[in-house]
Amino acid sequence: MSEMNSDKAEPNLTPLLDMVFQLITFFMLVINFKGASLDMSLKLPVLGSARPLEHSGKLEPLLLNVDAEGNVKAGGQSVEIEPLVAREASMLKEQLKFAGTPVEGDGTLPVTVIIRADRGAPFKLVNQVITVCQNHGYRKFSLSAMTKE
Amino acid sequence: MRRRHKKKRDQGSVEMNLAAMLDMAFQLLTFFILTFRPAPMEGQLAVNLPPPVPTTKVEAANVAQQGLGKEMQLDLETLHLQVVADPTGGVKEVSIEKSATIPGPLAAGSLLALEQKLQTIFGTQHVPYDRVQIAVDGQLHYGELMKIIDVCSHQKRADGETVQKISFTEL
Repeated sequence: MSEMNSDKAEPNLTPLLDMVFQLITFFMLVINFKGASLDMSLKLPVLGSARPLEHSGKLEPLLLNVDAEGNVKAGGQSVEIEPLVAREASMLKEQLKFAGTPVEGDGTLPVTVIIRADRGAPFKLVNQVITVCQNHGYRKFSLSAMTKE
Repeated sequence: MRRRHKKKRDQGSVEMNLAAMLDMAFQLLTFFILTFRPAPMEGQLAVNLPPPVPTTKVEAANVAQQGLGKEMQLDLETLHLQVVADPTGGVKEVSIEKSATIPGPLAAGSLLALEQKLQTIFGTQHVPYDRVQIAVDGQLHYGELMKIIDVCSHQKRADGETVQKISFTEL
């Protein structure tokens, strides 16, 4: 019995573990936490001059997905645009007030709205979303597009 | 003495059981593989869109005589495009300052024609335009509008600066 135990072949797992940890590190580095809020079913328009969004500061942009029928999705869920934007704007104003930089003057909010609209959506529907955002103080918009087909 | 001491250490070396750690690592790896979504090759077009305000159309000659108000000056600096849609949501025609028109649908040829016309306008010295306002038919597909915006954002003024102020309103 004792002889059998001493002859037992034990593979060296260290290289395997090394490789697995390297793979885990790779996936952790490339993981996209914002991916959940992107509606991947949308066919975005193609715009050669589109550039990556320059986002600086602590305030996260408001991301809205608009499909071809004008339905709006935010955070992976279908939402009513008016209450959502009103709530977001109100929360942002509170946050800014708490941080000591309340919104002044014309009420312009210092946050960018990212519009990811389907290329087949009528302009009227996209414009409705933009207008609602404008009515609540958003002025900076960023229109998402594919850089190539 | 030294040799004996070394032998004793070899015998007492601790070998960790890596199987449990490997199990956990594989579970983590599986999670990351299953939830992996490569980031799409997306870009952004940044636009500053204040709420639309009515602007007064004025003739350049009158303005030169009367002096420029801020709104009037803005209107003079703005090149107006108008995009009319066909029933399928494509472009029926694009008109520049209600004169030059480019018939749709937007294909490579018509986009090139639009680009050339805009280049002629912006490339001319003493032309006051530094922004583009696009009046868009509500039925036009968003993708078609973006093609026109793409052409406009390529334009360079006579002083070499790119036209960056692009806005749009609904017809």
